Amino acid sequence: MSVIDIEHLTKNYGKARGIIDVSLAVEQGEIFGFVGPNGAGKSTTIRTLLGLIYPTSGRATIFGKSCATNPEVRRDVGYLPSEVFYYDGMRVIDLLRYSASFYKKDCTKRISELAEIMDLDLKKRIDDLSFGNKKKVGIVQGLIHEPRLIILDEPTSGLDPLMQQRFFDLIASENKKGATVFLSSHILREVQKMCERVALIKEGRIIKVERMSALQENNFKRIKVESRADFDKTIFDMEGVTKVENGGKTATFLFKGDINRVIRRLAQVDVSNLSIDEPDLEEIFMHYYAKDG
Amino acid sequence: MNMYLHELRSLRRTTVIWTCAMIAIALVYLSLYPAIYRDGAHFRDMLAGYPASIRAMLGVTLDSITSVLGFYSMIIAFVVLCGGIQAMNLGMSILSEETRERTADFLLVKPVSRAAIVTAKMLAALTVFLITDVTYYAAAAVMAFAVRQSSYSAGLFFMMNLTLLFVQLIFFAIGAVVSVFFDRLRSVLPVSLGTVFGCYVIGALIAASKDDWARFISPFRYFDYPSIISTARYEMPYLATGAAIVIVSIFACYTGYTRKDIHAVS
Repeated sequence: MSVIDIEHLTKNYGKARGIIDVSLAVEQGEIFGFVGPNGAGKSTTIRTLLGLIYPTSGRATIFGKSCATNPEVRRDVGYLPSEVFYYDGMRVIDLLRYSASFYKKDCTKRISELAEIMDLDLKKRIDDLSFGNKKKVGIVQGLIHEPRLIILDEPTSGLDPLMQQRFFDLIASENKKGATVFLSSHILREVQKMCERVALIKEGRIIKVERMSALQENNFKRIKVESRADFDKTIFDMEGVTKVENGGKTATFLFKGDINRVIRRLAQVDVSNLSIDEPDLEEIFMHYYAKDG
Repeated sequence: MNMYLHELRSLRRTTVIWTCAMIAIALVYLSLYPAIYRDGAHFRDMLAGYPASIRAMLGVTLDSITSVLGFYSMIIAFVVLCGGIQAMNLGMSILSEETRERTADFLLVKPVSRAAIVTAKMLAALTVFLITDVTYYAAAAVMAFAVRQSSYSAGLFFMMNLTLLFVQLIFFAIGAVVSVFFDRLRSVLPVSLGTVFGCYVIGALIAASKDDWARFISPFRYFDYPSIISTARYEMPYLATGAAIVIVSIFACYTGYTRKDIHAVS
């Protein structure tokens, strides 16, 4: 049984776009990335999954159950919303205790542990906290009950780089302890660093679900080659080569296919320098998003 | 239970303020009573000079104005107006505060059903009304006893005060159902003040017209104090209408709230 199972999920918002026929499954112990530009439907998918909004058709389940009809499955879910706002006039510790009171376990020790990791002052009033510190409250609040599934919606906005690092270390250690992680983001760097598989969503539709490694392997290599003499114009005329920028003695291009073919071709030239890079997710991403405009 | 206690804690301050305001109204008016009783004849003459419709709007009955209960029926009308505003405010804010204050993403992903959330909030509101009303009733009873010039029926006094709770429940239920179905409301106060004062003014106007059907329009007219004093009973059709409004509204709240989409902050 998958931890998250989304089948043909559609949500219409009248004229505004929601999500259309979204299907994906997240397995036990995975860190799954959910990538797409703002407004692509990431939050809509997550909110439907959590039972905050109801689908027009299709279904979304966590541990085999729908949150809308079985709210008790949310006991195993920790959710960090993209923007956090909390009740006025409460201190951090009051809010965390209130949050803990929904789960049938003693979280006192865990609260102080997490607060220490995230460098959070428990005695402060939440109204007085900066945006970044409120975000930390959100993080601690979402992890307080040691959830088996952690759902993160744009988790790092507002956190400084040091805190981002600590946060990702924290998520990684939770993952090691067995938690499944669903990370929605438009910041590709963090997805690339954390995730084993990603789903790309665009305009409400999933356009690809792929292993991170496969996404990088099966795709383009960015090749930069320098030669002692000017390149022959025809040398790059071969299958799989695109975006050639021939600047006389240096050339860059993207290559897709068997790498040996391009090596053999380049062997005909007197090469002075050669670099073959993995394209980062950003480029892959741009490729998918730019493709059909 | 945790949600109920949380709600009560967050309603602490407003509850104290409203209760004090109601007690202050009663204190100011009841402290005038001994003087008015002494000059009863003059006071009555003065009021008799008012047009009958104005007297009706103010809830004044000439024959009984110098008795404690007759005088108190004027006071309780203001207190009930106060309670109506308190209740409608609370009704409109208690469910919608999560979306307005953007805490829905906190509370509604906890392992509790929406119905349980509604129940906890409704019970917290009911508790607030009971605390307000019992405190007010105790204070008013002591004051009325202190200023009395002759004996009066404690039972009738209780019945008059109980209408405060009835009116609160009606406006609370209306407020709650409005907030569930009009979730784009940004602020609560203008709508609740408008509705309650609107009902009050309509109630005052129809009080002058003596039309029994018109009384159904304003919850403030469901309970007629001179009639309570003379018959020692509530008027059944109006009491039943009030109960029906409360039951239907609360039922609609449950169904509406459990089915609605909670959208992301924007």
